[in-house]
Amino acid sequence: MTITLTGQHTMTDRLTLLVLVLTLAAPTLAQDNYKLGPDSMVQEGVPQGTVSQHKWISKKVFPGTVRDYWIYVPKQYNGKTSAAVMVFQDGGGYVNTKRSFRVPTVFDNLIHKGQMPVTIGIFLNPGVIPPTKPGGRPRRNRSFEYDTLSGQYARFLLEEILPAVGKRYKLTDDPAMRAIGGISSGGICAWTVAWERPDRFQKVLSHVGSFTNIRGGHVYPALIRKTEPKPIRAFLQDGTNDLDNLHGSWPLSNRQMAAALKFSKYDHKFVMGTGGHNGRHGGAILPESLKWLWRGWNGKTADTSKTK
Amino acid sequence: MPRLESFVRFLACLLALSGSTAFAQDMPLTQVLLPGEGWKLVGSGYRFTEGPAVDAKGNVFFTDIPNDRIHRIDTTTGKVTVFAEKTARTNGLMFGKDGLLYGCRNGDKQVVAYAADGSHTVVASDIPCNDLVVGSDMRLFVTDPGNNRVWTIDAKRRKRVVAEGISPNGVILWPGEGTLVVTERNKPHLWTYRVEPDGSLSHRERYYLPLRLLPGRDRPGSDGMAVDTSGRLYVTTSAGVQMFDPTGRMGGVIGKPHRGSLANVVFGGPKRNRMYVTAGDRVYQRKTKVQGVAYFLKSSSP
Repeated sequence: MTITLTGQHTMTDRLTLLVLVLTLAAPTLAQDNYKLGPDSMVQEGVPQGTVSQHKWISKKVFPGTVRDYWIYVPKQYNGKTSAAVMVFQDGGGYVNTKRSFRVPTVFDNLIHKGQMPVTIGIFLNPGVIPPTKPGGRPRRNRSFEYDTLSGQYARFLLEEILPAVGKRYKLTDDPAMRAIGGISSGGICAWTVAWERPDRFQKVLSHVGSFTNIRGGHVYPALIRKTEPKPIRAFLQDGTNDLDNLHGSWPLSNRQMAAALKFSKYDHKFVMGTGGHNGRHGGAILPESLKWLWRGWNGKTADTSKTK
Repeated sequence: MPRLESFVRFLACLLALSGSTAFAQDMPLTQVLLPGEGWKLVGSGYRFTEGPAVDAKGNVFFTDIPNDRIHRIDTTTGKVTVFAEKTARTNGLMFGKDGLLYGCRNGDKQVVAYAADGSHTVVASDIPCNDLVVGSDMRLFVTDPGNNRVWTIDAKRRKRVVAEGISPNGVILWPGEGTLVVTERNKPHLWTYRVEPDGSLSHRERYYLPLRLLPGRDRPGSDGMAVDTSGRLYVTTSAGVQMFDPTGRMGGVIGKPHRGSLANVVFGGPKRNRMYVTAGDRVYQRKTKVQGVAYFLKSSSP
């Protein structure tokens, strides 16, 4: 949201604007009043993993794109046993330990307690094709990569990113031990990766997911109801004050997704809060979401082990 | 009122920062269309209109391909006059910063430049061409659908093929001219290429996707394009003028002015805020809230 102020406003204009901003801001802040719990805080005595930052230039699947990415390696990773994998879209936000999600801290705490496996986190930013002509505008590839209904992003992970990270660390190839999560368009992207390649990714975490008509993603509930169920476990979070715009209604779309997953008997959980289009609610419940998503990991649950 | 204003600004910033991720700005059609401003007929009785182009004053030129004529719409009076005749099926048009009207003189397989008196000089030969775009550096990109390639012609009028393997039709540059967009009539997407400083094209992508299709059809019929100063892209299709935001997301379909075909679009008028479309035997225009990009206004040396 952008509010532009020019020097030409009258007194009434300014007051109207002030009232508008206050009515918009006040309830938004109250509805988003979610607090982080102890699993999102650094705890004494809990071993801390390491985070390293990298740059990826795609040559194959999204040629010309440049992006930052981060790798989280838990202290418990020993280099001998294959680690589970969890990928995050908009990785810069998820890897940040001062904002809503603080994934490295949450991973430290849950891995320490055995509530999720020893997991390598891969946090990818969306790609940008920088201009080479002076004055040119960058081609921002986020919507193309995240919102498009195709296997292209899954291919990017499987043919570029996982092999690259797999050169440094021993990663599992068990699809039930590979998870993917994201916020907004990154949320539908996580679903699309598992939907296209359930033989490679079977766990999905979506925060305020854009199951709307940005690039046709509103059809997923219909597809889920009329497609032989796939071995995907999904956790979806949304809020009643999420977006309602030209692409669709986020709360309605997420409810449609949850209803379709229920109809087709998917292993899923849907949490509807009161927040808006941001990560506050998703961040506050991230530890519980991950415990649910990874439950039964030690020995594997029946529902996720049926396809190999 | 500086204190109140800075408080409002603070709250606005708070709102803007409240998300944990930078989301792209939404661009619905309401940012483009004016309430009560529909299509207005500019001229009719042509056979097939194409190639709308705007000059520095906002006058709009278009071709009537089967009749071998280029017409000029006066920006102040709205009157349509004949600008050039015997134009050898000239198709796509665009003005360069030299004031000349560049055109795809397809009947002669030439790219030409029309002067103010309607006479022309040859810019490049042996290019059966459909549409073109003229950059601020006077580099041209020209589509050659029959041979499945895109040409570039530099300021010294040297030509070379820079893309192959697609059947290109319409062609346009983003504001800033770092990205070229190409349409294929039968494909439900538009292609983007990065424009390298030497004019070569790289990193092709189906960036604009999906296009709206008419029920029961699998081909959008995408043709000519225009861009506005905010980076929105407009493409004529069988379903109407489809508008996309700069991140490639479709923002809405502007209805067709009539049931016939829709071939091309340009922003004209003194403020370049009037959307002109060539539509079969007619030309229409409507006033909008946005302003079209004219590359000839930009200085060529950065």
